Amino acid sequence: MTGCRVGKGEGEVGSRLVTRRSLIRSGLAALAAAPWAGPLAAATGPARHRGRNSGPAQEGDIVLGVSAAFSGPSRGLGTELYRGSMAWFNHVNDNGGVNGRRIVLKLTDDGYQPEPCVANTIQLMQDESVFLLFGYVGTPTVTRVLPLLKRFGDEQVYLFFPFTGAEPQREPPYGEFAFNLRASYRQETAGLVDNFVRIGRRRVAVFYQNDAYGRSGWAGVREALAAHGETMAGEATYMRGTQFDASMRAQVEILQGQSPDAVICIGAYQACAAFARDAVDLGLHIPVANVSFVGSENLLALLREGRDDPGSHTRFLVNSQVVPSYEDTSLAAVREYHELMERYNPEPPEDVDRIAEGEPYEPFPQSFVSLEGFLNAKLITEIIARMGDEPDRSRIEQAVFAVRNYDIGVGERVSFGPERRQGLDRVYYTVPEGDRFVPLEDWESRFAIS
Amino acid sequence: MRVHKLFRRLRFGVFALFALVVLSIFLLSIRTVSNELETEYVSNSANIARNIADASVDILLNRNLATLQSLIDQFVEIESIRYIYIVSDTGEFLAHTFVPGIPEEILASDPSLTDPVERSLPGLGEFVEVGSPILSGVAGTVHVGMDTEALALKIQRAVGQQIYLLCIILVVGVLALIWIVKATAKPLEELLTYVVELARNGGEASDNGVLARTDEIGDMARLMRHAAGQGSPPPKGRARVTRPR
Repeated sequence: MTGCRVGKGEGEVGSRLVTRRSLIRSGLAALAAAPWAGPLAAATGPARHRGRNSGPAQEGDIVLGVSAAFSGPSRGLGTELYRGSMAWFNHVNDNGGVNGRRIVLKLTDDGYQPEPCVANTIQLMQDESVFLLFGYVGTPTVTRVLPLLKRFGDEQVYLFFPFTGAEPQREPPYGEFAFNLRASYRQETAGLVDNFVRIGRRRVAVFYQNDAYGRSGWAGVREALAAHGETMAGEATYMRGTQFDASMRAQVEILQGQSPDAVICIGAYQACAAFARDAVDLGLHIPVANVSFVGSENLLALLREGRDDPGSHTRFLVNSQVVPSYEDTSLAAVREYHELMERYNPEPPEDVDRIAEGEPYEPFPQSFVSLEGFLNAKLITEIIARMGDEPDRSRIEQAVFAVRNYDIGVGERVSFGPERRQGLDRVYYTVPEGDRFVPLEDWESRFAIS
Repeated sequence: MRVHKLFRRLRFGVFALFALVVLSIFLLSIRTVSNELETEYVSNSANIARNIADASVDILLNRNLATLQSLIDQFVEIESIRYIYIVSDTGEFLAHTFVPGIPEEILASDPSLTDPVERSLPGLGEFVEVGSPILSGVAGTVHVGMDTEALALKIQRAVGQQIYLLCIILVVGVLALIWIVKATAKPLEELLTYVVELARNGGEASDNGVLARTDEIGDMARLMRHAAGQGSPPPKGRARVTRPR
């Protein structure tokens, strides 16, 4: 069920979804729980923390507004990003919050559809008066929200760390209303193209989602190829929301007709997994690259599920990432991530199972997406902390620009400034090994044309 | 009955006239609605193409193709607009809405042309495409494709509604005609019955109510009875033939 908009934060006055069950549960939980603990956490027990800081806000809380895909074919992305963030926020709140204030998420579901995302954002800005917008998912959604931020520019509601590497929130006229942590699609695709060209795979084609996200990646590939004096070998598209069970035969055949040396996919995990499957089945045995947005673990799970040879459809994959491997425990942030994910093991947001019409979502213990959510949460906490006891929106930009050479724990320091609204630049490359993606050490030996 | 036969002809004549009117209106409607809708479609599409072209200038100059795609994605949600593509001045496709790929026919066409053209795209359907230059063509061209099947469906629906209304009027008219004919035929039948009985019985006939009538039927009945040697002649003033109004 895509395109629906469901208010979360059950029990809040003005919320779109106040059920009798949730009111009873919140009430009972509030009686049982300590004042500092969220009512929903108490209601669901200690094994998993069910969005305990996405519950009703209290006086003094810092409320961050979220509109993301918690339903539909891309719900894995919104859910994992949220879980990673919640692992950090739970930790912060359990330790007294930021200058004594809890950080609470006000969640809304947009199903990765632009119009619900716009409506959610208006609701978050006007009805909920959130402190800032945080953890949005997707280019088609974010690009439609950016004009809203400009429209309400006087209120200084900034968008922080959206899960998209597209250019519109990095460039005029909207760049000044958003802050990014991750590297851009332009950087990811440039890295992929550079590596393919270096190993002799110069004919690069693109398979992309036919919307702003896909176009952003397509433009990145085109630009990167132009730098090598090449043009795109071919292109094929799919509709946003396409599921794994859809056939990608037409797309594979279009690209096969152009004899590419490699394909770069700019899409979400369901469609990209379908493409990778059909490419192998139809004999297109060339490297198939995906950018970070794809949701690597979700992609891999789909391609391995129920196969006698689970690696048969994954051996040509190479995925770029904007965070380091979650297995690289030599990094301080990764160690923290492991510890807090294990301790809190945040559950998907409430009602996600119901929204997805009974299809249960099984979260991953660790994933690149949740690690990104974790780092996003860590950095926004640092920014809020820099605003002191009485944070207010008018000082947000100043607080962000004060972040210089900040060690977030991934081996790359974060800096912001008036001319720099993106914190990290590094791109990592990974390949499947068993049921997870591991760093790709040697492009030549893995993907060179024999 | 002779009277019925007379009226059957009248009924047929009126029905044929009605059918002719309906058919004429039907043909006229198809022509008018089809022309009007087609003109309106092309005009609307041209306006949409022009709007996109106007809105694209800054976006294109900033090379912000994601925003450009986002822009055309919003327009393609409009009913009957099936595809939009933007081509640079060098002929490169910068943004489009085709899935799974740009059709060969479009790749092979001249992207700088902006006059309406009819396209038949295999697997996609029949389209009318209009174009609009961006920055007088130096920044590229926007092309908007409208689904002619959707247009035909809309025309059918509009004409169908008119025909539906006319058919209702026709049926009501025919039913009304039958009722009027029946109402008119009934006294004539009574007169005929009376006259036939008068003739059969040598001037004697039972009064079935026609003699009491004050209209032409009554006059005729009394005249017949007088001619048969019974009763007085009808009053002088009633002997004239009145034209039906």
